[in-house]
Amino acid sequence: MKKLLTLCLIAFTTSAIADYTFVVPQKPGGGTSVWAQIIAEQLVPFLGENIVILHQPGARDIPGFNTWHNDLRDNDKIIMVSHGGNGVAFLQENVDYNYGDYESIGLMNLNIIAGKRIGADMEFPKFAAGSGQTPEAWAMTMLICGPDKTMAFYAACFKEHVTWVSGMSGGERRLAFKRGELNGTRENPAAYKKHVEPNDKAEIWFHHGILQADGSHADDPNYPGFQLEILFEELWDAPPSGEFYDAYKLVKSFRDGMQKALWVNKGNPNAFELQNALTKMSQDPDAVAAIQKKVGQYDWLIGEAGNNHRDTLMTFITAEALQNLVWFNTEALGLASVYKEDLVK
Amino acid sequence: MITHLLLGTMFGLVIGLLPAAGATTGLVILFGFMHLFSDPYLGVVFCMAVVAASTTGDTYSGVLLGIPGANSSAATMIDGHPLAKQGKATYALTAAITTSTVNGLFWGTLTFALLPWYMNLMMIFGVPELWAFTMLALACVGFVSNRFWIRSIIAIIIGTLLGMIGVDPITNADRWTFGWDYLADGIQIMPMVAGLFAIPEILDGLKQGSATTQPHDTSGQTWDGIKATWKYKWDALRGGAIGAFIGFLPGIGGGVADWMAYGSTLATHPNEEFGNGNIRGVIGPEGSNNAQKATSMIPTVLFGIPGASFAAVLMALFMYLGFELGTPDLAYDTKFFSSLTYGFMWGTVLVAAICIALNKYICRISYVPYKYYFPLLVGFVVWACAQYTGGWEDYMILAICSVLGVVGKAYKYSRPAMLMAFILSYKVETLTIQMNALYTWDTLMTRPIFLGLIICIVLLFVLSLKKNKLEYA
Repeated sequence: MKKLLTLCLIAFTTSAIADYTFVVPQKPGGGTSVWAQIIAEQLVPFLGENIVILHQPGARDIPGFNTWHNDLRDNDKIIMVSHGGNGVAFLQENVDYNYGDYESIGLMNLNIIAGKRIGADMEFPKFAAGSGQTPEAWAMTMLICGPDKTMAFYAACFKEHVTWVSGMSGGERRLAFKRGELNGTRENPAAYKKHVEPNDKAEIWFHHGILQADGSHADDPNYPGFQLEILFEELWDAPPSGEFYDAYKLVKSFRDGMQKALWVNKGNPNAFELQNALTKMSQDPDAVAAIQKKVGQYDWLIGEAGNNHRDTLMTFITAEALQNLVWFNTEALGLASVYKEDLVK
Repeated sequence: MITHLLLGTMFGLVIGLLPAAGATTGLVILFGFMHLFSDPYLGVVFCMAVVAASTTGDTYSGVLLGIPGANSSAATMIDGHPLAKQGKATYALTAAITTSTVNGLFWGTLTFALLPWYMNLMMIFGVPELWAFTMLALACVGFVSNRFWIRSIIAIIIGTLLGMIGVDPITNADRWTFGWDYLADGIQIMPMVAGLFAIPEILDGLKQGSATTQPHDTSGQTWDGIKATWKYKWDALRGGAIGAFIGFLPGIGGGVADWMAYGSTLATHPNEEFGNGNIRGVIGPEGSNNAQKATSMIPTVLFGIPGASFAAVLMALFMYLGFELGTPDLAYDTKFFSSLTYGFMWGTVLVAAICIALNKYICRISYVPYKYYFPLLVGFVVWACAQYTGGWEDYMILAICSVLGVVGKAYKYSRPAMLMAFILSYKVETLTIQMNALYTWDTLMTRPIFLGLIICIVLLFVLSLKKNKLEYA
């Protein structure tokens, strides 16, 4: 019944002229919704068919992805638009969707940058909490607490040093940082340029690096020398390693490595047409300029490259890394994370 | 440009006239049409005209039908609807629109002219001050709208509990959703407004079977309404100042300003009767809503931080048009600021002219028995509520909220208090968490604005116990 109603809704909202539908798991106006609208506009001329945006909002953007997975993905014309938050939820929440079941049309792999107030004592960060900030919590714990400790030590160290402020929206976080109530913040590259760089009381703290095809993370040429791994080695005279670092790599990769992505069901006969159109769009200077103007400059991984990227991410999922991720997130960050044994299998 | 202004104004007015719909609804509808603006600056003009016109227009259903057009016009309804029942709808609406327009223009001018100056002021208000403002708003609506303060507290508790359905801000896990995914995003505002106010009023109208009022001579009411604005100018300006200030604070929208303005009007005139058609009770809150819309643009434009829910949607629409609010570059785009100002200011003037000219004709709907137009009304309300997912869940929530509204109205549990508590509960919870994490008692005691607001809350409570005679539910 639910499936029937959802399909009726799709039929009603997309109308006769719609050829493709982008399912966005947010309300209109959300970051991924804006991104999807812009990409759809630029993609239409290369695809030669119309694209309609269907918003399927819900908590933490999970229900929309679940709906597509359960009810819509068999339709060859309905494409899922996901973001980094879906990646974090995939690791530690009971969701229906599974990236392993899909084919990548294209995805954008990007870095997240953390800023700090100039002169602030970052031994004691005051930072906005939330599952979207999980990788930053892990990174600052490593910087503050050093190498080769037990998970329990890291959790205790985090609680002792970090003021983890729950319940802040993105806007509130930015304002609290500007006012100095928070001494640290994080943004994607476009938002960092907009909200942190112009602030004369702020400077870069660290970034997570850019995920490479071989699974390593490379320094970001826009912010050289501030990658977590580089800063850690400078500070502690040893590269990061061990179980805590493995879990950190897992969560940062799933959030940043699939920051914005388009998916279809495996075996979708339209996949090639879509990938082809996306390739042409990504090579067209006008389309690229239009996208960059609105959402910043990110590299596309299209088709097989996207699938390979996803497969690389999947290799990070080990029982130990996942268990440690869930344990620390529950114990130190207070998140209601769940360990999903099936995910390791 | 004039065509876009006119179209935006007409579209905003139509949306504003619909029960339970408002500026946010109107802007959400625009998402599918943004590609039609070949010149993005014309898109800005259009959107701002929609904001101005829908805010002015949403007074109609509150005054004429007793149903708030959006949550921001609920306060106007308390004295506005009784005036309509007395056959003074044109008088009430003209006064409301004139007040709204004057304040919209005044605060709009200040906002757009002095935008960069506000940056420093914004830095003064931290988490504790925002928390105290939110609590003051709750106190206003709880203790001002209804003299049965115990029932008001119960209504606030119910609203708060409903508002807390969704996500726990600390654990980020679902809370009180009973395994229903739909609820994980919380109960949506539109079914709550429609269920609490629109459906009970529609049912009441059907039961009575008669019109709001009988046909009568309305001559002179338009001019009387304009004169009332001048006569009670201090109420209008006070309301405008409150609205402007609240709009300036990021995230505190949703009718807070209107209720604070209404509360301050009551407090200023303790010997007057309210709730039975006092024009001051219309002018006070109407002073605030357009002023609030104008100043909400300050945090939105300067910092990319939406000042209210409509501003969040507006921000996304502007993003489609290529304007990234909160970026330093935009501050130097004079054409953008001109379009913003032009759309809002002329939209305000145009909608006022249209409304005042047509008021006496539009008000004739109050002569028509409910049974003739209730299907249309129900259709609009249901349509507005189904804008979230369009699925059966939207209708189910509307039905549940309607039951709550009917019971609340029958037993005089303040529905405005319930609505405000619903809207603000998540805000109160998250601000409390933030304040606890970032401040101690000692540091809070050093913040004079915070302490001043706490004193205001206590005074309001004491005064309302002694003076409040309102029974609106």
